[in-house]
Amino acid sequence: MSKRKVKETHMPVGECISQVQMILRERFCHQRLPEKPVGMESQHKHLLELLRRTAVHGESNSVLIVGPRGSGKTMLLNCVLRELLEVKDVNKNVLPVHLNGLLQTDDRIALKEITRQLNLENVVGDKVFGSFAENLAFLLEALKKGDRSSSRPVLFILDEFDLFAHHKNQTLLYNLLDVSQSAQAPVAVIGLTCRLDVLELLEKRVKSRFSHRQIHLLSSLSFIQYLDNVRSQLSLPQDFPDTNFYDEWNDDQSVVDVLQRHYNSSKDFRSLHLLLMLALSRVSASKPAIKPTDLLEASRVCMVDSKANILHGLSILELCLIIAMKHLNDIYEGEPFNFQMVHNEFKKFLQRKSHSIHNFDKPVVIKAFEHLQQLELIKSMDSSTAKIQKEYQLMKLLLDHSQIMEALQKYPQCPTDVKQWAIVPVLET
Amino acid sequence: MFVGLLLSRYLNMSVEGQEAVTTVTPGQYILIEGNDDEYPFVAKLLKFFGDESHKQKKALVQWFLRLSEVPQNKKLLLGRSPHPQEIFYYLGRACDNEINAESILGTVDVRQDNSPDTLYVKLSWDTKAFNVLDPVLMQDTPASTPPKPALPLFPPCASPTATPVSRGPVRRALPTPDPTVMRRAGSVSDTRATMSAGKRSTLEISANDLLLCLSQGWATLMGVGATKKSELIMMDCSCLFPVGSRSYFIYLDVIFVVLLTCVPVLRLHVSSVPESLPCREQEFQDIYNFVESKVMDGTGGCMYISGVPGTGKTATIHEVIRCLQHASDMDEIPTFRFIEINGMKMTDPHQAYVQILQKLTDQKVTADHAAALLEKRFSNPAPKKETTVLLVDELDLLWTRKQNVMYNLFDWPTRRHARLVVLTIANTMDLPERIMINRVASRLGLTRMSFQPYSFKQLQQIITSRLNKVKAFEEDALQLVSRKVAALSGDARRCLDICRRATEICEHSTSHPSSAGLVRMNHVMEALDEMFSSSYITAIRCASLQEQLFLRAVIAEFRRLGLEEATFQQVFVQHRALSRVEGLQPISVSEGLAVCQRLGACRLLLLEASRLDMLQRVRLNVSQDDVLYALKAVRD
Repeated sequence: MSKRKVKETHMPVGECISQVQMILRERFCHQRLPEKPVGMESQHKHLLELLRRTAVHGESNSVLIVGPRGSGKTMLLNCVLRELLEVKDVNKNVLPVHLNGLLQTDDRIALKEITRQLNLENVVGDKVFGSFAENLAFLLEALKKGDRSSSRPVLFILDEFDLFAHHKNQTLLYNLLDVSQSAQAPVAVIGLTCRLDVLELLEKRVKSRFSHRQIHLLSSLSFIQYLDNVRSQLSLPQDFPDTNFYDEWNDDQSVVDVLQRHYNSSKDFRSLHLLLMLALSRVSASKPAIKPTDLLEASRVCMVDSKANILHGLSILELCLIIAMKHLNDIYEGEPFNFQMVHNEFKKFLQRKSHSIHNFDKPVVIKAFEHLQQLELIKSMDSSTAKIQKEYQLMKLLLDHSQIMEALQKYPQCPTDVKQWAIVPVLET
Repeated sequence: MFVGLLLSRYLNMSVEGQEAVTTVTPGQYILIEGNDDEYPFVAKLLKFFGDESHKQKKALVQWFLRLSEVPQNKKLLLGRSPHPQEIFYYLGRACDNEINAESILGTVDVRQDNSPDTLYVKLSWDTKAFNVLDPVLMQDTPASTPPKPALPLFPPCASPTATPVSRGPVRRALPTPDPTVMRRAGSVSDTRATMSAGKRSTLEISANDLLLCLSQGWATLMGVGATKKSELIMMDCSCLFPVGSRSYFIYLDVIFVVLLTCVPVLRLHVSSVPESLPCREQEFQDIYNFVESKVMDGTGGCMYISGVPGTGKTATIHEVIRCLQHASDMDEIPTFRFIEINGMKMTDPHQAYVQILQKLTDQKVTADHAAALLEKRFSNPAPKKETTVLLVDELDLLWTRKQNVMYNLFDWPTRRHARLVVLTIANTMDLPERIMINRVASRLGLTRMSFQPYSFKQLQQIITSRLNKVKAFEEDALQLVSRKVAALSGDARRCLDICRRATEICEHSTSHPSSAGLVRMNHVMEALDEMFSSSYITAIRCASLQEQLFLRAVIAEFRRLGLEEATFQQVFVQHRALSRVEGLQPISVSEGLAVCQRLGACRLLLLEASRLDMLQRVRLNVSQDDVLYALKAVRD
């Protein structure tokens, strides 16, 4: 970014916009860490102190960071690591090892990854390790500095900690925590998880070796703080090149109701960032600021019901089948139905009420029915699909009545008799 | 013994596999059949004699060792990488120096200078250290060699004239375990404690800091009533550095706090090895007696030790072994080897064989081969054999369907020549009855010991002894911790972790460093809260409005159904009704599912697989009362 040389520089609007988009996208896509984690000062202090003890004093520790998805666990950890690595002698000393439960699905892979991240591949070479612990012991041994008995502290960061607990015998966890509880190389084991009951997953021996330190990240932001946050997220930094543009941009918006709705639904920042990202993408040279309508539109996109959207793309025949299923659900109180029942219901409608829809051949109707199944709007109830004929397989509708009605309202050029049928079923006479 | 002495000074014998007949005479170096075909034992023949019945030819030998026969942990004492042809003169007493003449394989050339192809000897090994070999011992005068058990232990550095001028570093100056450090005598253990504490504190505090604290550390220390320990550290510091200038005086408070707090924190870490293990005296004594008697008699046996995690099982055994090793260093009992394996540190139960063999002989072979080698080793008599003490931690993980690993482990000690003591550790008291088939359980025997969870008094004692008279905790605070842990699990690790955390909290809670004093009740309460309190209620309180509403909908639906389970669709109907009551805009199904998934990810709700969509069943993972309590507090 160019430095602000003269105070009153003016840049073409297009350039400003691209600058703005770059800055904000970096923010919303989590590419840049915030200056300071918001609303988690005490947790930040606790974690920093803990890791500092490991990094500087060589005291082994283990800790779990627990919080719902999007609550900033990784962000907090990264902030702390950044701060920790700024200390001069720590920087050269500490070795962070990042593992993720979704990537390292078993202990062997995890061990390989640890080796890779510690740059020990060439040392290990094609040595064959008989056992897991031998390999781990070798790794830790390798960390020891030549003559001194002290070894470099290693920070093991286990993302999705709960998944590691599903590994066989929890060997990796046992060994890591055992090292952290015995006077071997100094390590810190940091687990990140969103499960509140993660300790119950640990085997008793593993549990006993865990220090039971947990840092909970539960956001207790009030709506006012949430708004402040939105504001600061959208504000441009002080050193933005064009001052005029800067002033304009930072005007407050009145979109409180949209944000309130969002806040009610979830407090985490990730969903907020998504919303703001959508709004941001609508900014262009001709429309150089985020207007309330943009946010409304973005919110609409975020909140839209996916199923109802799918319904808009169905043919009239498929829609009719769905309506028939709805009526069957009403009649049989949610019991499963099969194709034959739906077809009968549909035929009843065709005979008695329909003016605009002609008769379809049965294979055509079956095809439509199968399409619905592919879209997972209906779902088969039996596990063994092979044995029963297609027509008689029991199905359930995965749609709520409200979704059907809503979709019908918005369906382009829906015949009125179909709409009518959706509200009033064909009565037996 | 000397009866048949000169019967056959010359013995004709055929060497296996070779047609030629080799003659061995006393004074020659011979190879003797051993465990390892590639590297037979080496010895010097002293004399032949017949046994009492005159049927068997016996021989009296002076043993030599290859480095591979030296225990793993002692190899480092050599201080250099050995030449493959190097052997050591054996000065120990544990090995029988009578052998069967049939086991002699042939002769071998042994020299005293460094030659590339033949075996050579330069050092002697007395089971504790490598020493320069006295050339007198190597002279070809068997008669002048006194009977081996009575070999005088010459001082390691004999008169320089007696030692041959050696080229390389012959004997490495090596800190042999200082007897004063050994911990059986109470007074001695104190010194070690101070030493280690001193070392740690210097680790903790950089030299710079130490300089700062010099000027008048005394006054402050005395003023606040520091204990002896801290004083000692301070003395250390002041000895190390010259007295600083006056300007450092202001830092004194800070330094003092660092000193006072870092020591307990370090001592409370689970990894720090305590000077003694309080509250396990009886168990210690029992295990000690068991192992000692087996080592003394040269027999074998099994022992099963059970107890919940964190009750000091492994620590006690290590302590026993330390003491026994010390005793054997002092020549009170014969030497023995200690090997440790851990079921949790193996990927497969059969790896146990590999690890045992590797620790015994440093060989690396496959599991099947290792099993065969161990079988041979433990069932055949071998001339040089010392007792092996094998610790098997986490025994339950060695379980296989056929249980052959456990069977072998418990069967070997019963063999006549095995000289193997097996100590096994597991968590459950009835493991032998529960998972072992009869023939395995029977071999394990009835020597059992169970470590009870610590009572609160014992926990208190453990902490106090760890702190080693540093007064860091208020009496009540200490009692609270120990009572709480004793009531929950009796796990000493937990207890120490809580104390460590409480110390940290105490350290941080005070804004002014000089007021940091003892760890008080409130610090301990805070630590306990952090570690034990369930976070569900806080999590519910911090959840977003829609999430809270969804939880209420779940409860409402449960009440309506009279079941503890409902489908998402049913709950969602309730949810919509509730949002209307609350005056909120109802959310769409997709959003509702997202809310439900978020709650499921935190495990506030238990969900079926999400592909079931609307029909997935929802259950609460918290009690209804807890949810209501949490939500009520929010609304008030």
